[in-house]
Amino acid sequence: MPLEADPSLNERQFVLQALKENLRQDGREFDVYRPLDLTFGDEYGHADVKLGKTRVIAKASAEVTVPYVDRPLDGIFTIAAELSPMTSPSFEVGRPTEIEVLLSRLLEKTVRRSGALDTESLCLVAGQKCWSVRVDVHVLSHDGNLIDAACFAVVAALRHFRKPDTSMEAGVLTVYTPAEREPVPLGWLHSPFCVTFSFFGDEGEISVLDATWLEEQVRVGSCTISLNRHGEICQIAKLGGTPVEAVALIQCTQLALTAVKSFTEYLDQKLDADSKRRNKGGLLAELSAENDR
Amino acid sequence: MTVAAPEADLGILPKADGSATFKYAGYTITASVNGPIEAARRDEHPYKAHVDVIVRPAAGTGGTRERHLESLLESSLSQIILVKDFPRCLIQIVLQIETAPANDYVNTKLVQAGINLPIIPALMQTAVLALLSACVPMATTAAAAVTAFVSEGNETRLVVDPPQRELETANSAHVFAFTARGQLLLAESQGDFTMAEWEEAHATAKKICSEAAKKEGMEMVLDDEKHVGPDLQRFLRSTMESKVAEDLLWR
Repeated sequence: MPLEADPSLNERQFVLQALKENLRQDGREFDVYRPLDLTFGDEYGHADVKLGKTRVIAKASAEVTVPYVDRPLDGIFTIAAELSPMTSPSFEVGRPTEIEVLLSRLLEKTVRRSGALDTESLCLVAGQKCWSVRVDVHVLSHDGNLIDAACFAVVAALRHFRKPDTSMEAGVLTVYTPAEREPVPLGWLHSPFCVTFSFFGDEGEISVLDATWLEEQVRVGSCTISLNRHGEICQIAKLGGTPVEAVALIQCTQLALTAVKSFTEYLDQKLDADSKRRNKGGLLAELSAENDR
Repeated sequence: MTVAAPEADLGILPKADGSATFKYAGYTITASVNGPIEAARRDEHPYKAHVDVIVRPAAGTGGTRERHLESLLESSLSQIILVKDFPRCLIQIVLQIETAPANDYVNTKLVQAGINLPIIPALMQTAVLALLSACVPMATTAAAAVTAFVSEGNETRLVVDPPQRELETANSAHVFAFTARGQLLLAESQGDFTMAEWEEAHATAKKICSEAAKKEGMEMVLDDEKHVGPDLQRFLRSTMESKVAEDLLWR
């Protein structure tokens, strides 16, 4: 499989020189994201995220399975992020690259380990039956900042997703089809988002939000901060690269918080618009058999 | 029941050589084509290009079902792509299923190895559109259609593009692919059927896939035969025409 071509020396010099003069290739400020666009599919749990030319689709799905033996009271929640040759011919099926490993690891840390999804609510019969919720991340095109886009898509898909309604009567578990009962949303606790900073310059003194693929190829280091809109940091990943001043990192977390707030606002607004679109006759509340918490 | 007309978008992915999104009968599929590119040593053929088809499901990992679809598509697409023009090369087609029609009356399991014929036409159409968008030389274009025989009382009825619910109760399902000149490219059937039924399904599919394209002007208007399905060759042509017109806007 052909390898991706690295940027030429001239291109590299040009990008770095421009950044030193406070200029970016696409004319953006250093702390501005490219236009973010989210569309939901007709079915529940399908989120299509476009961040500039980067495009990620996340698809959530659920099925009933047997819980793990060591965790009888928890449901199963997995995030599968596999890069296909659609992203770039240099990716091969079944042979994970470094980008792919880092992506799935970060998504796992941000969404799963931060307890965004209440896995206990996925338990149906202790030790016997539980929901297995799975999110598949499909990267259609990669033009930098894959992590932020993928994380946003995963959170959007999970918050949009509805699992089939169930009931327990006299020890008999019934899973209702969408035609019988309106599906119910997942037990969602908080929405964490990833914000990635790229560092440039000899000592990593220039920090840039939402780098494009070209910028990612010439950067000296990067740092991914995951947090929710309350400013609770779920994880910080600074994997190698040039060391960065501690003060600069604190400034980054401040910037990340404003970015996450705008993400949250945008997602809430999109979810609202989508539920309005679905609830045409205003009958969805009557169809729902779910109790308020 | 009528199905909405097919929709397609070409050249949607910035990095791939060619790409297309195709929406029809509840299916949304995105395809990317890269090629001709360098082939891996194991795929290299001294006299022709290797056509590599990868089908990726919307949810879950690909299994036997996807491998089967890949092998079917690979053999039919190799027939229409001019593979002998590119020895030792690889033409890579990635088909990403985004949505597939769901049946509201059953809860589906994630891993299912059930009926997989009805998705073939959508995959085929998307692949051909993406190949055209990537400007891969082809001898001809292709189109595919799915038909099913549903029993009503003691009679059986032919359904074109059957919805998911009818497919599950159908006696038999048939998928045919034809080139633009009406040559049979792929014929797959499932279930119980007689030879006469097969002939009928074949004729109907042929009409959808290729025949209507030959008729021009007046003939088309005078044609009083019942319109059975979308005219796929015409759709392919008009999609390409509008794409070319858009691309040449600068002139």
